[in-house]
Amino acid sequence: MEIEKKMEMLEEILELEKGTLAEETILNDINEWDSIAKLSLVALIEDEFGSKISGEQVRNLVSIKDILKLMK
Amino acid sequence: MIDLFNFNKKKILVTGASSGIGKATSILLSKLGAKIIMIAQNKERLDSVTKELDAQGHRWYSYNLKEISGINLLIKTIVEENGTLDGFVHCAGISSMRPLKMTKYDFLHDMMLINFYSFVELVRVITRKGNYNNGLSIVGMSSVSGIKGLKSKTAYSASKAALDGAIRAISKELHDKKIRINSIIAGLVKTEMFEKYKSNIILSGKINDIERGDINLPEPDDIARSITFLLSDSAKYINGTNIIIDSGLKYD
Repeated sequence: MEIEKKMEMLEEILELEKGTLAEETILNDINEWDSIAKLSLVALIEDEFGSKISGEQVRNLVSIKDILKLMK
Repeated sequence: MIDLFNFNKKKILVTGASSGIGKATSILLSKLGAKIIMIAQNKERLDSVTKELDAQGHRWYSYNLKEISGINLLIKTIVEENGTLDGFVHCAGISSMRPLKMTKYDFLHDMMLINFYSFVELVRVITRKGNYNNGLSIVGMSSVSGIKGLKSKTAYSASKAALDGAIRAISKELHDKKIRINSIIAGLVKTEMFEKYKSNIILSGKINDIERGDINLPEPDDIARSITFLLSDSAKYINGTNIIIDSGLKYD
């Protein structure tokens, strides 16, 4: 899956406008990166990529780039 | 000396028997003389639980309860091979946390299949003439989330509320056949399901009482004891209702 599609998916679950996110964006700088967003990410990766990520893995995420690495 | 719970030679079907509350229930009932028929998916785990049961003569069947259409044949086989049933406990179930925005039809349906649809189908088939003995008692495992509703648990809460609602209706229909059906409404219990839940809660960054160990939580065996009570003749007049096991706290 191309990066652009992945970014779109992330913007959707964070309810952000298209083009808002960049690979370098730091998660803690995003207001929308709350517990619901974290749970939504876990669900997204399960549904779209069939892998289960742990709470530990989520806690270690720093930037959008880190999330993109998990999306496979 | 009186025997409050005598299950000597009683045949009890337990789903979700490979872990948690289902496993604890199977073990406890076997210690009271019952013959346990276990249903779960994982064969190794089922085999392992069988070794922990008291006495011999227990059976297990590996089956994916999401296959609703095959449940009829499964029960037919179980009754043919083991005899008519005296009790049925439904401990099979899943509980993932998922925000509403990600709770699409497929996810919701998946949860309903195992938590609710399989339960109704099992009850429907087991309560057919020739499959059960007089005094059959049925127990469904439910959750405080069904009566309270919890964030990110839309699907789970709905499936448990459905189970409790169905039990109330079914109890009225089966009353004349002298079959009882009830549910256990549990709060948090120390099972694998709880471990998963804890790791999700930690995800949200909230350190709470449970993580700090302040709250004393029941073990699966504690729940098994109430299930045993409902299955027994000591609960002869208890029908269409719930036993709430949550230390009065209705956990968040």
